[in-house]
Amino acid sequence: MFKTRFALPAAALAAALLALPAFAQVQADSRQVQVDSRLPHYRPASGVSGTIKSVGSDTLNNLMTLWAEKFKEFYPNVQVEIEGKGSSTAPPALISGASNFGPMSREMKQAEIDEFEKVFGYKPTPVHTAIDMLAVYVHKDNPIAHAGLSLPQVDAIFSSTRKGGYPTDVTTWGQLGLDGEWANLPISLYGRNSASGTYGFFKSKALFKGDFKDSVKEQPGSSSVVQGVASDRGGIGYSGIGYKTADVAAVPLARKDGESPVPPTPANVASYPLARFLYVYVNKKPGTDLDPLRREFVKLILSREGQEVVVKDGYLPVSYEIAKKTLASVGIDVDEAYR
Amino acid sequence: MSTPDQPTWRRRRRARSTLFAAGEPMIWLTGGALAICTVMVAGLLLLVLRQGLITFWPAPVVEITTPDGRVFMGEITRRESFRPAAEVVDRLPPAVREKARAELAASDGVAHRELVRTGNFRLTQSHFAWVSSFEVENRRRPPWALVLERLEWGRFYGFPQAFVEMHFLSGEGDPRQEARRLLDRLAGRGRQLRLVVRGSGRRLALAGVEHLDDATELAAVAEIDGGAQAAWEGFRRHHDAVRQRWRRRRALEKHDVGEVNHALERARLERRAAELERERAAARHGAGSAAYEAAQRAYEAAQRAYEAKRVEAEAELSRIRAEIERINGENRRLQLLMTTAGEGATPPQTVLVPLDQIVRAYPANQLSAGGKAGVYLARWGEFLLDEPREANSEGGVFPAIFGTVTMTLLMSLAVVPFGVLAALYLREYARAGAVISAVRIAINNLAGVPSIVFGVFGLGFFCYVVGASLDQLLFAASLPNPTYGKGGLLWASLTLALLTLPVVIVATEEAVAAVPSSMREGSYACGASKWQTIRRIVLPRAMPGIITGMVLAIARGAGEVAPLMLVGAVKLAPELPIDGIFPYVHPERSFMHLGFHIYDVGFQSQNSEAAKPMVFTTTLLLIAIIALLNLTTIWLRGRLRKRYAGSQF
Repeated sequence: MFKTRFALPAAALAAALLALPAFAQVQADSRQVQVDSRLPHYRPASGVSGTIKSVGSDTLNNLMTLWAEKFKEFYPNVQVEIEGKGSSTAPPALISGASNFGPMSREMKQAEIDEFEKVFGYKPTPVHTAIDMLAVYVHKDNPIAHAGLSLPQVDAIFSSTRKGGYPTDVTTWGQLGLDGEWANLPISLYGRNSASGTYGFFKSKALFKGDFKDSVKEQPGSSSVVQGVASDRGGIGYSGIGYKTADVAAVPLARKDGESPVPPTPANVASYPLARFLYVYVNKKPGTDLDPLRREFVKLILSREGQEVVVKDGYLPVSYEIAKKTLASVGIDVDEAYR
Repeated sequence: MSTPDQPTWRRRRRARSTLFAAGEPMIWLTGGALAICTVMVAGLLLLVLRQGLITFWPAPVVEITTPDGRVFMGEITRRESFRPAAEVVDRLPPAVREKARAELAASDGVAHRELVRTGNFRLTQSHFAWVSSFEVENRRRPPWALVLERLEWGRFYGFPQAFVEMHFLSGEGDPRQEARRLLDRLAGRGRQLRLVVRGSGRRLALAGVEHLDDATELAAVAEIDGGAQAAWEGFRRHHDAVRQRWRRRRALEKHDVGEVNHALERARLERRAAELERERAAARHGAGSAAYEAAQRAYEAAQRAYEAKRVEAEAELSRIRAEIERINGENRRLQLLMTTAGEGATPPQTVLVPLDQIVRAYPANQLSAGGKAGVYLARWGEFLLDEPREANSEGGVFPAIFGTVTMTLLMSLAVVPFGVLAALYLREYARAGAVISAVRIAINNLAGVPSIVFGVFGLGFFCYVVGASLDQLLFAASLPNPTYGKGGLLWASLTLALLTLPVVIVATEEAVAAVPSSMREGSYACGASKWQTIRRIVLPRAMPGIITGMVLAIARGAGEVAPLMLVGAVKLAPELPIDGIFPYVHPERSFMHLGFHIYDVGFQSQNSEAAKPMVFTTTLLLIAIIALLNLTTIWLRGRLRKRYAGSQF
């Protein structure tokens, strides 16, 4: 009995393995997200010690924790303290020296950069660590998850100013073309608090820099937005794609009315309208090298292992080109550094 | 006028008045109020208990096949009924559609669905899947469905195929030659042999020995025990030893490396202190002065000491690293070959899982009641004693338990003496008047201030003013990294001490006031001074009341989260505030707290579906810890009461 059972997968496996490129092809077609195989593997260096102190984004909270856990595998001596209460908490902590990493789910605003520059005389350096597709979630039974929405529609749902140009305010699901029991169901809005980078990004991209409605229920964390939508049939909310659960559905989005909506899947990273980078800001004086702790941590983030962690947390890994450029911006040559 | 009526009316009235007079309705009102309170408290406790206690009980693993050939295997976590809209049915694959229509027509449009925890996140990008009742074609409980709880990537559900023991190639010389020699040597042992090759992402995979000549990236030669039974037995035989080695590795990483590191950090700080001293000498006496020369010599000595320490530490670290590497190598040799049931639409996949990545494994459908209880208890053990993993969504909460208890005890140490002294002055020494009334009102108001305000105060005053000044004075060497100038255990305890101060003061005042004045007068009559009376007569008798205040303070303080988020509770801080590294107690460290952990797991966790039961478990634990702390103090109070019961009038 065991023979038949065992021989089959082993044989199939052997065949698949010996033609490695084909094997990789098969996997890329499935739902599996693949880390760019050109990214180098991480090799531990010597002389790394100190404390990783990270204050910032809540979207990146789990990612930072996972990276730090991975980092501790290589450098058990390093201590870790991670706080994530919103991207807006990152710049002040970076400026005051309370943190050495500032994870942010949006780019720093000019005012924040100026504030930093006033103290140090140079700009903070962003590290592009991962790609997130900010998803608009609805209840899993909501048919809009098949029909999709356009950004002006999303704007009309969430915003009181409607800068996207949608003609009417949208307050019930019927206005979006749903019928049956959904026609008269009011839309219930879930969002993030204003310290969050997700809030800022959504406001600038989906709301066209307009204002949120007062009726948006502001949640303390990305995961609580998803949980709110999961338990509310008429609910809609936005959160990083990494927080998706089986209880919610991510709505396909189109940039304009009339375009065909694109679901937030790894294959659509280029065409999905709300894709964004997740950053970790560091304080690097131009012309000097990062200290070993920060250098190695950045290297780990942009290594194959670090990007595997990104996949584990539900986000998308960056490509070799982005990693190379990012590493160059903090003075690390990708081909030299990992040898 | 009609005489028979009047007495009836009078009697009725009398009856009603007696009802009120006897207080019957008041019994009902008070009793009802108590009943509602009890029901609410009991309901909450029961909910937490039920959810918290069943979380760790192993559920059977179900394999569900749909008519269109999709497979879901995992534990059923939730069921619900729903009313699928017509277009939902229309979108179903043709094979399912007819069945769905028929079933919905029979049940008046209501269908059921189940949330299956399918695990295997690496392969499917999801942890859970909903399966509707009309999609189920076949449902079975495969006897060899194995649940693996892994260190990374969450759970794995699959079938064991083989137990694999690897013999890694040394990497020197021609790998093919070496593999051939190994194959020859192992051939006599009577187990099946396979080649191990490195696939994409460095993951290992097996290939048949006949591929020796065309295989690339040969990593090892493997001996194999094929078959589910053999695989499971191999796992059971080796897993304990592997875990033992893994724990040894963790101990090395934590304690040995930690010690080396701290020694090095101390040397670095001493050098930095000497450097600062030299700068001060240069500024005060000028470069070249005698004081400067002395400081320079001290700095050079510190520099030499640091260099020596660094070389020593480097050697020690590489020794430890080699040891860790050896343990890893030994552990990585043993792996389990698993196949999945094929998640959703993807075909079954074969995966090698190293034994040291497996925390626990069990064939869920073969477990006896005793076996289930074993898994249940093992999970509780892990939860209580281990560190969190995977961004707090798995593993244990030991650092959080430790942080909560130490913080609460430190808080009590700070608040009780302080509050008792203040209350004694208010009650015994101060003359009643407008000022005292104002103070009392202020204290009562303090109890009503939102706790977050205390958090802001703690951050602004303790961390940024007191802590930063302490850093300037005592820890200048480690600046700009703050030592006390940030949130930490000490500041959190003091902040909560302020928060709970009114409770202690009010309770103590009440207790002191309840001591009969005849006793005080008796004491004075015997010639005792005011303080002697307070210490010998008043305080001992008020002690049970004071301890009641402490119980209330602990209950309030241990359950408080909002201010802690500002003054030191963090998501991850595996370094405990008390450990074996000099100076053993580190009140400046950030810490983990159960209350904050609940918030974090509940609202921030990526895999929120799997985290939800953990919220209840952690809540249960927090309630249990507070109850335990309270019971201890109540027991203490009982003892004190007994001690003074005899001398009461």
